[in-house]
Amino acid sequence: MTRRRRHSDEDSNRHMPGGVSITGWILLGLVIGLAGSLYYAWVVSPVVYTDASPARFSDQFKREYIVLVSQSYALTGNWELAEQRLAALDDSALAESVAALLDEAIRSGESNLVIRNLAVMAQQLGVENTAVSRFGPGTGATVTPTPTQTPIPPESTATPTNTPRPTNTPFPTSTATSQPTPTAQPNYRLLDQQRVCDNEDAPRIEVNTLDAFLNPLPGVEVRVRWQGGEDRFYTGFKPAFGAGYGDFTMEPEVSYTVFLADGSPEISGLRVEPCDSGFDGGWQLTFQNLRFGATATPEAEE
Amino acid sequence: MTRFRILFFLLLGMTIGTGVGLTIGWIAWPTEFTDANPSVLQKAYRNDYVQMIADTYALDNDLPAAQARLNELDSNPNAILLETITDKVLADVNETDIRRLVRLAANLGISSPVMVPFISEDSS
Repeated sequence: MTRRRRHSDEDSNRHMPGGVSITGWILLGLVIGLAGSLYYAWVVSPVVYTDASPARFSDQFKREYIVLVSQSYALTGNWELAEQRLAALDDSALAESVAALLDEAIRSGESNLVIRNLAVMAQQLGVENTAVSRFGPGTGATVTPTPTQTPIPPESTATPTNTPRPTNTPFPTSTATSQPTPTAQPNYRLLDQQRVCDNEDAPRIEVNTLDAFLNPLPGVEVRVRWQGGEDRFYTGFKPAFGAGYGDFTMEPEVSYTVFLADGSPEISGLRVEPCDSGFDGGWQLTFQNLRFGATATPEAEE
Repeated sequence: MTRFRILFFLLLGMTIGTGVGLTIGWIAWPTEFTDANPSVLQKAYRNDYVQMIADTYALDNDLPAAQARLNELDSNPNAILLETITDKVLADVNETDIRRLVRLAANLGISSPVMVPFISEDSS
């Protein structure tokens, strides 16, 4: 009788009605609680980061971030800072990401400025492909597709006898027709714009003009405008810097607007800005003629 | 009593399971937040992001694009821009960087005493 009673006591402790033990009920509760709380923590009310790094950006904002880094690097030339910024993305395939972004920018028709600066940064990261070689540093005037006509060097056209050296004389504004107006479809497009921080000379606006085949184009009239003044100069008078080269000395605290007389976008807001090297820096603009593949002869002054 | 004991052990298990689940879901293995936008950036990264927007504006003079990028940072982007300028002025960073920020702010119609020493006569 004792054995039977003990047996019935043991039964009542280990097994509830239905044959489930205490441990089983606890485990069942554990599983239900675990599943429910994980669903709540991961789906209903996940942790919201408010101190994120660029590594957590969506793909869209990562691309935007890379573009911004490339633009800032083009302006400052500070590669160390650019590397730190790119490192914040925590991308193990960073060079590939930048190369892919460059391809995407070219296909989607981004501005030449964005494309070039991405190409420059890609080259810094060691990317070597067609896009970098075409749009990266050292291209532009040096790239020579096989043209049907060879460019005429400035020397062979002779220095225009009736064209004076560029001076800082005010541009005549007495006639109503003398003011240049941008054409609806400009003959030139801005191919490149970048800071110049590489010498101790006075900061300048340097202009390079190219034909449709990216060959230097001399004799192009460049106009520079600022508050209270205007001037012009022609490319090709400093062949040591290139057949399509011309420049204009900038003054500090003055904002300049540059455009080509034959029709181009107006590039405004050009100012002297200090470079990281300590010297004042200028600007370099490269324009490409969209209509002519041959070199135009210098135009006679009116 | 039996049903009470069932309920008791069930609730005990659920309590333990809930505690373990929340610890795992919020602390040990929280959701990987990988679709962030600039508005959730840590302050140091955010200030740097604003600086790059100002640098880009200095390069391309595209004010609408700069405004659109600032709008992604906060519902009050002007306040963010001003805060970045103030932080940089107080930190005595490169004046060139500050001038670019101030130029952007001025062209967006923002004005503040902290900007005055860095505003050029021709703000265009």
